[in-house]
Amino acid sequence: MTLQSIVQILASGLLMGLIYALIAVGLSLIFGLMDVVNFAHGEFLMLAMYASFGLVALTALDPIVLMPVIAAVLFTVGALAYVGVVRLAMRARANLGMVQIFATFGLAIVIRGVSQLLFTPDYRNVPNVWLGGRTIPVGGIYLPVPQLAGGLVSILAFLGLWLLITRTDFGKALEATREDAGAVALVGIDKNRVFTIGWGLGAALVGIAGAILSIFYYIHPDVGLPFALIAYVTVALGGFGSVFGALAAGLLVGLVEAMTATILPPSLKSIGIYGLYLLVVFVRPRGLFGSL
Amino acid sequence: MATGLAIPQSGKDAASAFDRKRRLKLLTGLAVAAAVACLPLVVTDVYAQNIIILTLLYAALSQSWNILGGYCGQISLGHALYFGTGAYATTILYTKFGVLPWFGMIVGGVVAAAIALALGYQLFRLAGHYFSIATIVIAEAGLVLVNNWDWAGAATGIQWPFVPDSWAVLQFNPRNKLPYIYIALAFASITWLTTFSIETSRWGYWWRAVKDNADAAESLGVMIFKSKMAAAAISAFFTAIGGAFFAAFVQYIDPESVMNFQLSLLMALPAVLGGIGTLWGPAVGAAILIPLTQVTRSYLGGSGQGIDLIVYGLLVMVVALAKPEGLSSLFTSRKAPRA
Amino acid sequence: MISRRSFVAGTALTAASLSTGARAQASEVSVGVLFPTSGSGAQVGIDAIQAINVALDVINNPHPDLELPLAKGSGLPGLGGAKLRIVTADHQSDPQKGRAEAERLITQDKVSALIGSYQSAVAATISQTSERFSVPYIASDNSSPSLTRRGLKYIFRASPHDEMFSATMFDFLDGLKKAGQKVDTIALFYEDTIFGTDSSNVQRKLAGERGYKVVADVKYRANTPSLTAEVQQLKAADADVLMPSSYTTDGILLIKTMSELGYKPKAILAQAAGFSEKALYDAVGKQIEGAITRGSFSLDLAAKRPTVGLVNAMFKAKSGKDMNDNTSREFMATIVLADAINRAKSTDGAKIRDALAMTDIPGEMTIMPWKRVKFDENGQNNDADAVLLQWLGEKFVTVYPTELAIAAPKFPMSKA
Repeated sequence: MTLQSIVQILASGLLMGLIYALIAVGLSLIFGLMDVVNFAHGEFLMLAMYASFGLVALTALDPIVLMPVIAAVLFTVGALAYVGVVRLAMRARANLGMVQIFATFGLAIVIRGVSQLLFTPDYRNVPNVWLGGRTIPVGGIYLPVPQLAGGLVSILAFLGLWLLITRTDFGKALEATREDAGAVALVGIDKNRVFTIGWGLGAALVGIAGAILSIFYYIHPDVGLPFALIAYVTVALGGFGSVFGALAAGLLVGLVEAMTATILPPSLKSIGIYGLYLLVVFVRPRGLFGSL
Repeated sequence: MATGLAIPQSGKDAASAFDRKRRLKLLTGLAVAAAVACLPLVVTDVYAQNIIILTLLYAALSQSWNILGGYCGQISLGHALYFGTGAYATTILYTKFGVLPWFGMIVGGVVAAAIALALGYQLFRLAGHYFSIATIVIAEAGLVLVNNWDWAGAATGIQWPFVPDSWAVLQFNPRNKLPYIYIALAFASITWLTTFSIETSRWGYWWRAVKDNADAAESLGVMIFKSKMAAAAISAFFTAIGGAFFAAFVQYIDPESVMNFQLSLLMALPAVLGGIGTLWGPAVGAAILIPLTQVTRSYLGGSGQGIDLIVYGLLVMVVALAKPEGLSSLFTSRKAPRA
Repeated sequence: MISRRSFVAGTALTAASLSTGARAQASEVSVGVLFPTSGSGAQVGIDAIQAINVALDVINNPHPDLELPLAKGSGLPGLGGAKLRIVTADHQSDPQKGRAEAERLITQDKVSALIGSYQSAVAATISQTSERFSVPYIASDNSSPSLTRRGLKYIFRASPHDEMFSATMFDFLDGLKKAGQKVDTIALFYEDTIFGTDSSNVQRKLAGERGYKVVADVKYRANTPSLTAEVQQLKAADADVLMPSSYTTDGILLIKTMSELGYKPKAILAQAAGFSEKALYDAVGKQIEGAITRGSFSLDLAAKRPTVGLVNAMFKAKSGKDMNDNTSREFMATIVLADAINRAKSTDGAKIRDALAMTDIPGEMTIMPWKRVKFDENGQNNDADAVLLQWLGEKFVTVYPTELAIAAPKFPMSKA
């Protein structure tokens, strides 16, 4: 193995890791806010990719340009999922944990079924994107433009999220609601409104990820499943609710995955991620940066 | 059984009332089992009998899951690991070493229980979702490893040899589903009886105490931990037995069909629908869920439009939302104890 | 009998919605059709049912211009003009469900035979059920060699299996070598499923026997989110021929990742699957100009045999796609089965089985590049030949075997 190919593998792993982090952070945000794991997260990603596909077909614009629109579409999806399903699940008097797991799990299956009905199970691609298929060679290392752009968008999204949480009134309301959902009502914060926006925001983040993925990935009703599993591991590895944890864990997962695939037969590469996760939670039961 | 010790009330009247209630439960169980045993006399269609077998199997699997997930409150979403262990142990012992499935089944159960004990030591320190995600991850890791294990057939799976009808190796003509129905019924009954006796044992009370009041957990500490380990082992043992039965029933296994994540969910789902942590929940849930999913797939799935998925997903959602304490609560008169 | 009655009612409902056109008469023969119609294999299943519906049209209605068994007349003359109809079932790529659905089709819908199933793992359980019930099963598009090696009497496969396909691929490479091309090293790239494992095992064995060096042996997890590290290994090995065994999703990702990492393989010789799907070429066709895939079907045959073009047009009218490796085999399986039912003059499974065993259809009476359809004692048709198709100028061109080829192969593919 040459130095060149080692650098290549590390670079590819980091770029993929940034995208994993972007997919995972929405999940982590929602969890941190209200202690709910969204089992339809992969389906949100899939919807974002179809939204990208549909909007590109409709407007002939590029997914990069359409990214805010796709994020807005997903914001609506997330807010609707909260109002229509999760809000009801939160009312359960018994077995709260199980009810929300299976309510969102049921939602996931419905979304997959509806997508198959509407979009057919054929494989789709967003055609003729600006960034698609371009790659930048740097001293024998190839840096694909879509992934570079994805990595950049991911970093910007994290930065924006950090500013939102630390610098805005909404961020303060978010933080307060997460600390004590009961008490915020006393100071005039509408808990339901914060939760709705929180779900919208979490989904919008995965919407951005979906827009990026649609540039270099196929689209299919089942496309969310492998990403969702990695997102759950990433979130738990970083610590549920920790935005910084999601970023760090995403990068780590991307790197470890790429390295495992090089050392072991590639069909075993997920073992590296799973092993890392188990190692971390056995030492730190709340993940790397988790406080919840 | 330490029933006398564990009864919350005191006094002879309360004790005898308790025993009467217990006896009544046992008789109800017996009556249901007898009714199911007579079912094949009325339902002679092979397809319908197939659904009965799957329903009984999932009732038993969900009952096993319920021991750990329901009574102990440890939401495992990785029971496919134990199911696969049972299926693979039985199949490998039979096809490679000629060991009869009846013995292979027990070996699979013991191996699964041992795995559960080894994992439990670490896993029980994880709280809530960390525990659930860890179980998913371990089961997925198991799937990936078996998928690459050439000696065990890897992704190609293992086919059971084609033999004439025999109770010894659990192979029967598919027109004759009765033996499978009765084996599955026996399996479901045993898991029910196990739950029944645990429910009123010392463990049962401890677990309930812990679920209702976290402080109680502190005072019981070490004993709780040990009893949880035991619950994990029992749960894994029976889940593996189910896997062994499934392997004999389908006569072909591969990692995807016996270790898939969906299987883990399918084991938890009946208990959730019927009533998690209740004696009848898993059976009620399975009796509704399994026939419905089979029939929707058979009669709506051929279109390729995903309608069967939509119906299944809506069903899961609606039941989870409408009846969070489970459908079996419809049959009991008592009010929900928790506010 | 309450539950049974309601099931039958359900069946009648489904049957009514499916057999639009075919009037419910006593003179119908039902065939069970098992494919995945939900989940990640769903599109293949939906296309398969379309292909089989085209075959039903050919059999049930007069088509004087088609040179196929039973095409000229209407229905099955051996059964007094009875029409063939299908009952479809979704096995969701799950062996257990495949078995349960096969039992349902046999016992409730009283089908006389079964066709299916795309995934070889599901074919394994369907074939066992068909054997137990003495109902013949045509494995239309399964390529695992082991299926017809278990001594079963009721399974039949008209198309080639992996060993026959791979042998053709290596015959082709031998020919290139003889013609002076540099073909010494190969790279195997295959998914960790029954399909990828079987395919790569045969290829590894043949490479050893025929003196090719396997310089990369990359087994990857199907439907993985990223193939970067995998492609890096292929790039480092830079074999003379890259031989992928992948379904559509991973095939698309493979090609995209190769171009992202600046790897241009010298030649691609694919074990069909994803590489015979239109979706893959829609996505990345430009990037793999010159890729070669094995196949069972060649549209170029239409020049010699007009029937091929006509059948393809019928299929295209229904589905909007050209026939491919899978759909052609599913179509042909239905024709071969109908021919046997017609000769059996019976809907009884055992009699149809005996008729299938006596099948002898000359290659000219098929849409395939086969010498003939004639089953050996295991139910395998050994006279089925594979073709190699090269993706050139936005379409497939037959490049091998020489007697069917309409162009010389472009090799290596990267050559200008």
